[in-house]
Amino acid sequence: MKKKSIWAIIVVVVIIAAIVVYYVTRPPKIVRAIKVGIIDCYSGPAAVFGNDALNGFKLALNEINKEGVLGSKIEFTTRDTKFKVDIGLSMAKELVMREKVDILAGTISSGVALAVSDYVKGEKVPFFVWISKTEQLTMAKGHRYVFSTGENTYMAGKAGAVALAKKPYIKYWIAGDDYSYGHDIGNAAWRNLKQLKPEVEKIGESWWKVGEPDLIPYITSIVAAKPDAVIFCTGGASMTNVLKAIKATGMAEKVPIWIHTATDHAVLKPLGAEAPEGVMGTMDYHFYYPDTPANKAFVKAFQDAYGVPPGFPALHGYITAHFIAEGYRKAGALDKEKFIDAVEGLQLDSPVGTIEMRACDHQATLPMYLGVTKKVPQYDFVISTDIITMTGAEVMPTCEEVKEARGK
Amino acid sequence: MDSGQLVNFSALGAQFLVGLSRAMILFIVCSGMSFVLGVLRVPNVAHGSLYMIGAFSAFSISTFLGGSTAGFWLALLLAPFVVALVSLIAERALFCHLYEREHLMLLLFTFALMLIFGDLVKLTWGAEYRSIMAPPFLRGSIPILGSAFPRYNLFLLMIGPLVAISLWLFTNKTKIGKISRAAAVDREMVGAVGINVSWVFAVAFVIGCFLAGLGGALVAPTVSVTLGMDHDIIIEAFLIVTIGGLGNMWGALVGSLIFGLTQAFGILFWPQFAIVFPYAAVVIILILRPRGLLKAVW
Repeated sequence: MKKKSIWAIIVVVVIIAAIVVYYVTRPPKIVRAIKVGIIDCYSGPAAVFGNDALNGFKLALNEINKEGVLGSKIEFTTRDTKFKVDIGLSMAKELVMREKVDILAGTISSGVALAVSDYVKGEKVPFFVWISKTEQLTMAKGHRYVFSTGENTYMAGKAGAVALAKKPYIKYWIAGDDYSYGHDIGNAAWRNLKQLKPEVEKIGESWWKVGEPDLIPYITSIVAAKPDAVIFCTGGASMTNVLKAIKATGMAEKVPIWIHTATDHAVLKPLGAEAPEGVMGTMDYHFYYPDTPANKAFVKAFQDAYGVPPGFPALHGYITAHFIAEGYRKAGALDKEKFIDAVEGLQLDSPVGTIEMRACDHQATLPMYLGVTKKVPQYDFVISTDIITMTGAEVMPTCEEVKEARGK
Repeated sequence: MDSGQLVNFSALGAQFLVGLSRAMILFIVCSGMSFVLGVLRVPNVAHGSLYMIGAFSAFSISTFLGGSTAGFWLALLLAPFVVALVSLIAERALFCHLYEREHLMLLLFTFALMLIFGDLVKLTWGAEYRSIMAPPFLRGSIPILGSAFPRYNLFLLMIGPLVAISLWLFTNKTKIGKISRAAAVDREMVGAVGINVSWVFAVAFVIGCFLAGLGGALVAPTVSVTLGMDHDIIIEAFLIVTIGGLGNMWGALVGSLIFGLTQAFGILFWPQFAIVFPYAAVVIILILRPRGLLKAVW
């Protein structure tokens, strides 16, 4: 009869409507993987560092993906920047716009890192910088979407200055690679040294093009000027050339030298016993130090997987992966803003102890190790000895300094 | 900037010798490039890559022989031949088919070779930095004029003139040398006289590349052997060959000396801008003598 059938129809319609409303408004379950886009330099002399970071990242992913993140895995894809800013930037754009990555990570070139950092500010995609060391990334040019899991030139400069201020040297010569990293290290070291010991004097500077193979003429002219100590601002392949030239001219025996990353294994290994001894160096990771169970386990896992011990980029890549995983687990959703809020202030256990992603500048609080190069019988390469550890807090800029640098 | 205290005889003398030894390496590499440029009339863009292969080969041979003194000398001797072989294969298999073509094709081909060699080196040796050590008696420094001068650089100072003399003897006293010179000046005539011009080109190309390999092997103990070596040297080589006079080997010597010495003295007097000096010298020379300092071969 009509009245009963109308009621039946209304009930059915209401049930259908309820079901539809439920499915439409239900929060979507995340079943897709987290995509990380990695831009780094995989060609030319910087490739050894890019590969190291990637290996550290992959090692961490093996552990992380066993447990899973938000019901799925972390996937990654890589792009080669060839150490060029325009290529790096276009790769980053491709990863964000076409591949629709959730997170960007990379790179070794400070130039590329700064350009990409600027780009992600507008695109609101989190970017983890894991090798390039310019302090501008988290200081003057820092913002919500950029994170640094590597030490920066401020920290290195301050660590070096702390070490040098204890010594009786007054007249300094500063020399290095003529690009932003070299100048940043030189400025950071000098600024801090002058603050800690006002009587120091800079008697000269020398700058050569990055990767300059023949440094003998520079060394001979520096030694001729008779400084009390020399600060070299160099890294990577250029550093190997510097160390070779120092050894060839016997400079380390005549003049005290400090170089950030002088004790970097990637640089000392090819030199073997030919590396100069007695050079002071700061470094944020050596695979042979600290001799803690956590570090030993990390080194063993890395060595088993890749056949070589990890370098500092591997450590940074490793902790980046863990920050990403823990950040998403804490946020509970595949939401970039929630992720950033979760990562700020997040603390992790790492091979070098507890590391925090500081909220005010998005800089990881990495310790710094100061040592002197020395030949030891158990390795056929030179290592860092008499190591003094400085905590992240001792060498990082204060949050007030960061605010000031950003002009707030 | 305290240049006053640096203008003393000891520093000047040491710096002069350092610049001279750098010029020797540049000369060895650029003479090869000049030779190829003279005979084939094509600047070999892959010359830097062959220099890099020479350095890496020297590393491999020396490491294979356990890094001993004998190993070093063998590496120095064999690496250029390895490079010569590589270049011969590239030339006979691919390059020689292009001789009839337009000039630009040859240039583009050498550019392609540069890219291919670059990646082949990465595939073969990986991305790590390599280093080889000079034999013990060539390590360390000896005091010259009061400054420490690396012994290996002294060795380079002796090798340079040796190579120059050998080259001169080759091009002026041997039959192949004389034919190469003739082909540089007038290849049609050489062909008309019944000599296979294609083979002359092959010989010239292989010799040029041999020299590039020799330069690479010699420089290996003083620098880190890395993947960027080819790019670094090729620009300097181009400039030196241009200011010296195209195809002129003595021009390559003059150009190398200018480049090496301006760089060394620039570092002494104005270290912050030292990189500018050799290029400034190139600019001045090209403004005054656009065709290079010495007579071009064509």
